[in-house]
Amino acid sequence: MPDLRENEQKTLLTLQKLGGKANTDQIVQQSGLAHAAVMRAALTLTEKKLVKINEKPQIAVTLNSEGKLHAEKGLPERRLIDILVKFGNQMPVEKAVAEARLEQSFIPIALGWLRKKDWATFAGKEKLLTVKGEPPQGADEKLLQLLKAKGETLLETLDKPLQDAVDMLKKRKLVETREKTIRELELTEVGWQTVKKGIAIVEEISQLTPELIITGKWKTAKLRKFDVTAPGPTVYPGKLHPMRAIIQRAREIFLEMGFTEIRGPIVETAFWNFDALFQPQDHPAREMADTFYLSYPKLGKLPAKSIVEKVAKTHENGWTTGSKGWGYRWSAEEARKLVLRTHTTSETIQFLSKHQKPPVKVFSVDRVYRNEKVDYKHLAEFHHIEGIVMDKHVTLRDLMGTLKTFYRKFGLTKIQFWPSYFPYTEPSVQATVYAPKLKAWIELCGMGMFRPEVLAPMGIKYPVLAWGGGLERLAMLELEADDIRVLYKNSLSWIRRKPVCL
Amino acid sequence: MPVITLNKERFSRFVGKQLSVDEMEKWLPWIGVHIDEKGPDYVKIEVNPNRVDLCSHAGVARAFKGLMGWETGIPEYKIKHGKTVLRIDKSVSNIRPYMLAAVVRNVKLDEDAVAELMEIQEDLHWGIGRDRKKASIGVHNLATVNAPFTFKAVAPNAVRFVPLDKSEEMTPQEVLEKHEKGVAYKHLVDWAPKYPLLVDRDEKVLSMPPIINGELTRVDRNTRSLFLDVTGTDYNAVKQSLNTLVTTLADMGAKIESVTVRYPDHTEQSPNLSPQQMSLHLDHANAMLGLHLSENEAVKCLKKCRLDAKKSGKNMLDVMIPAYRIDVLHEVDLVEELAIGYGYYRMKPTLPVTITVGEEHKAGKLARYVEQILIGLGFTEVMNFTLTNEDTHYVKMQKKPGSPARLANPVSSEYTILRAALLPGLMQNLMDNRHESFPQKLFEVSDVILINPNMKSCCERRLHVAGVVSYPNANFTEIKSIVEALLTNMGLKKWRIKAIKDSSYLEGRVASVSLGKEQIGILGEIHPQVLNNFTLENPVAAFEVDLEGLVGKS
Repeated sequence: MPDLRENEQKTLLTLQKLGGKANTDQIVQQSGLAHAAVMRAALTLTEKKLVKINEKPQIAVTLNSEGKLHAEKGLPERRLIDILVKFGNQMPVEKAVAEARLEQSFIPIALGWLRKKDWATFAGKEKLLTVKGEPPQGADEKLLQLLKAKGETLLETLDKPLQDAVDMLKKRKLVETREKTIRELELTEVGWQTVKKGIAIVEEISQLTPELIITGKWKTAKLRKFDVTAPGPTVYPGKLHPMRAIIQRAREIFLEMGFTEIRGPIVETAFWNFDALFQPQDHPAREMADTFYLSYPKLGKLPAKSIVEKVAKTHENGWTTGSKGWGYRWSAEEARKLVLRTHTTSETIQFLSKHQKPPVKVFSVDRVYRNEKVDYKHLAEFHHIEGIVMDKHVTLRDLMGTLKTFYRKFGLTKIQFWPSYFPYTEPSVQATVYAPKLKAWIELCGMGMFRPEVLAPMGIKYPVLAWGGGLERLAMLELEADDIRVLYKNSLSWIRRKPVCL
Repeated sequence: MPVITLNKERFSRFVGKQLSVDEMEKWLPWIGVHIDEKGPDYVKIEVNPNRVDLCSHAGVARAFKGLMGWETGIPEYKIKHGKTVLRIDKSVSNIRPYMLAAVVRNVKLDEDAVAELMEIQEDLHWGIGRDRKKASIGVHNLATVNAPFTFKAVAPNAVRFVPLDKSEEMTPQEVLEKHEKGVAYKHLVDWAPKYPLLVDRDEKVLSMPPIINGELTRVDRNTRSLFLDVTGTDYNAVKQSLNTLVTTLADMGAKIESVTVRYPDHTEQSPNLSPQQMSLHLDHANAMLGLHLSENEAVKCLKKCRLDAKKSGKNMLDVMIPAYRIDVLHEVDLVEELAIGYGYYRMKPTLPVTITVGEEHKAGKLARYVEQILIGLGFTEVMNFTLTNEDTHYVKMQKKPGSPARLANPVSSEYTILRAALLPGLMQNLMDNRHESFPQKLFEVSDVILINPNMKSCCERRLHVAGVVSYPNANFTEIKSIVEALLTNMGLKKWRIKAIKDSSYLEGRVASVSLGKEQIGILGEIHPQVLNNFTLENPVAAFEVDLEGLVGKS
C-alpha cells in the first residue's frame, strides 16, 4: 500500500462512502476537510493513481436578490392568495393588496401571475377577486425553497419539473445560471483495492510541540509532510543602508591598505577649508554660489598666530616657500567665516599640521557639502573619500599605484591618469576608471601632491600624496541607481530590495 | 570652468595638419583638458581655470603642436614699436588705477573669429579678472578713433555716448541705471564720485571700463586694426589678461604693435611679452615624479610644453616661461610641466614602500558596533542629511524653536539649518514609507551639529543613534527593552531610566536615560499630535541616545 497522508486517507474513505465517485464539494461536506486540503489530496492521489479527476462542465443555479426576497416571503401571487383564503376566498383587489402588504412594484406581478396560474378570477366594477381554494405548492415555489436552503445548486441534480421551474424563474428574473467546471473524483481500480484492504486513519500533526518532544509522543505521532514548494509569507531582515554598506567597504579597503581613519569638524572655518589649502580669498570656489556659509554662528576662531601669519604671507607674496603667492592683501576676517566643509581635506591638513613625523597614512570617508541645486546628478550633501600618504620618498607614481590598488579592490581594474588642476596640488592628476556595467570610462577622483605653499606654513617637510572624490558616483554604479537622490530617499522598498552582498 | 568647442577643420588649420575627431579625442586630454563631448566635426573641451591661455583654437593648437612634437619650445612673438600713446590721468588712480594696451594690425576676422574673440574676453574676465573686478578688457576698431587716447574719470553726467548694442546716447550715470551690463556691474564703480572713461584725441568715447564699450568702436568682419585695452585694480591681472589676448591674436596671424603708456609718475611700453625665468632642480623633480630623467631628456619634455630650457649646472635647468602662462607660480609647477611633457600615460604606477598599520577611528568603530546590535534587533538603517529645516525639526515635532546652526545662503527652503537631533529625520522617513508593510523598525547612527562656543568652529559634531518602531502595537515597553538591550550589548552598566516630560512624546510614557549624572538619551511613545503632524496612522515608539561621550570608552 502506498504511503498515504492523513488528508489523502480521509479523502479516499469519503470517496468510498459516496460510492466511489463524488465532486469535491460533496467530499468537503462529508469529510469535514478544508476545500484546499481536498484539492491538494486529490492532486497527490491522482499522482499515485488511486483517484482520477473528471472535469465536467455544469450549470449552477443561484437566487438573485429579488429571488432571495421571494424565497423568504413567498411569491407575490402566493402572498395574495393566502390573504384571500384567510378572508373567505373573496375580496376587492385593493383591499386584498393592502392586507397582504404587497410592495407597490409587486402588485401588477401578483395579479398577472394569479391570472396566468388560474388561481383566481376578477369580476365587476370593484374588481372582486375570487379564489377557488388554496392552490398546491408549485414547482417554482419548491425550487425557491430548495435554492434558499442549499444556495448554489447544479442543474443536473434537479428533477425534470424543477429543471423546468429553473427556466420559468429565470424568465421571471429571480434566478441566475452560470457555467462551472465541476471536478469529480473517482476511485480507480487501484483505489478501490486500497480502500477495500482497509485504511486505518492515523492523526497527523503539523507542529512539533515541546510536549511531543518531552513526552516522546513524537515517536508514534505522524508528522504531516509539507508541500515544501508552497509559497510562504515574505519577511525582511534588519540591514545596513546600502550606501552605508558601500561606505563600510571603502573604509575596510583603506584599513586593509594600512591607512588610519581620521574624523574632523563638519562646520569649519574658511581658514582650514580654503586658506590653509592655498585657495585665494577671491577664488571663485569660495563664492556663495558654491559654498554654504553659516549665518549663525558666523565666525570661528583661527589657529595659533604662527600658523596664520605664515599662511597669510604665503598668499600675499609666497613667504619663504619659493612661490610668487597670489599678490593680494589677505584678510583674517574672511578666513574666520564658518562654512560647511566642501571637502574632507580641511581635516587632512589640520591632521598633518599636528603629525609632521613621517610616515603618515590616513583616510576619511565622510560628509561634505556644496551649495548646489539638487538634481539627478547633484546633491548638496554627500560623501568624500580621501586618502593621504606622507613619507620621505613617496612619488607621483606611488600615488598612481596606491589608487590603482584601491579601485582594484572595488573590482575596477582598468584605470587611466590624466593631467588636471586642483588649487592645492601640483602635479595634479585626474583618474578615470572603466566601469564594465556602463561600458564607459568615468571620473571617480582627483589626486596630486600637496603644493609647497600648503606644506611649508604647516611645517610639513616631506611630500604628501593625496587623492579624493565623491563616493556617490561609485555607489550609484554598485547599486545600479541612475538618480543620485535615490541613495538618500530612504525608500523602505528600495532598501529591502537591495541585497546585503554587493 | 570654460568650455570650448573645437571645430575639426578650424583646429586643423591652426595646427597645420589635417586631424580627425578621433585623433583629437585621443590626444587632447594629455595637454590637460577634459573632453566633454564629441561630435561629427567637433570636440567640446573643458579647460581648467588656471589655463585661460587654452580658451581658443589658437591657444589649444599652440599647446597641442608642442605635445605632439610638431613645434616645440617657446613661441616667439615680435612686437613692432608703435607710435600710439595712451595717457593715464591721475583722476583714475583711486578708482581703477591700471591700464595697459596694445595695437593689433593685419587682423582677419571671420565670423567664427569674432565670436571667439568675445568668448576669450569672457573667459579672461572670469578666470583672471574675477568677474571684471581685477581686470576687464576692451577690444576696439582702431580705424574709428584717433590716438592719443586718454583714460580718465569724469562726472556721472558730464558726457554722452552710445553704448554697445544701443542706438541712443546715454551718460555714464544712465548706463549704470539703464544698460543691462551697467546694472550687472555698477557695483564696481558706482561708489566713486566720478566714473572711468577711455576717450580719443577728439574726446570720442571708446569705452566706459569695466562696464561697456562704445558702439563707435564696434568690431566686425571688416575690422583690420584693433586697439586693445585692459583696465583693472590689480596690475598683474591686467598684464596677464593683455598678454593672453595679444599672444592668441598673434597666433591667429595678426601683427602686434606697442603702445606707450604714460602714467602720472612713469612711462612703460605695452605689451611686455618677455618670458618669465625660473630654475628647476631636476633631482628634486625626479624624486617627486619617481622618474630618472637626464638634463637633456628634461629639456625635451619642457619644450613639448612650449617652454624653453637649458642646462645651467649639474641637475639644474634654466626655464623660460612664455608670457601667456600665468599659472606658473612656483618651481613645482614646472615639475608638472615635466610630467605632462613626459606623458602621464608613460608613467608606470608603483606602490609606496611605506609600511604602516591601519586603525579605524574610535567613533567609526562604535558606530559599527551599534549598527550591528540594532540590525540584530531587526532594525533597518536609514541615512538622512544633516541639512534640514525648522518645520520638520521643531514644528512637526511639537518643539519650541531652538537655535541650530543656520545657513547664510540656503539653496532651498528644505535645507536651512543643521540638525541637532536624528529623530525628526526618522519621523520623516516613516511618513515617506506609509504605504510600505508594517512593522517598520528604522534606525540611524550619524552626526548631529550642536552649538558649542568652546570649539574653534563654535559648533560640535556629535555621534547619535536614534530608532523608531511603528506598527499597531508599538509601545513604551518594547522600546525600553530595545534601548536596554542596546546599552547592555554596548557593555554599559548602571544606567538609570527616569520619567520626564517632553513635548514630542506622550506624557507618562517618556523617560530619560542617564549614565552617572549625565542624561544621554530619551525614549518613549511619540505624541499623537506629532503622529498627526507627520500624517502617520500607526503608533510610534522611539529613542535617541548621544554616543559621543561613549566614543573610545566601551
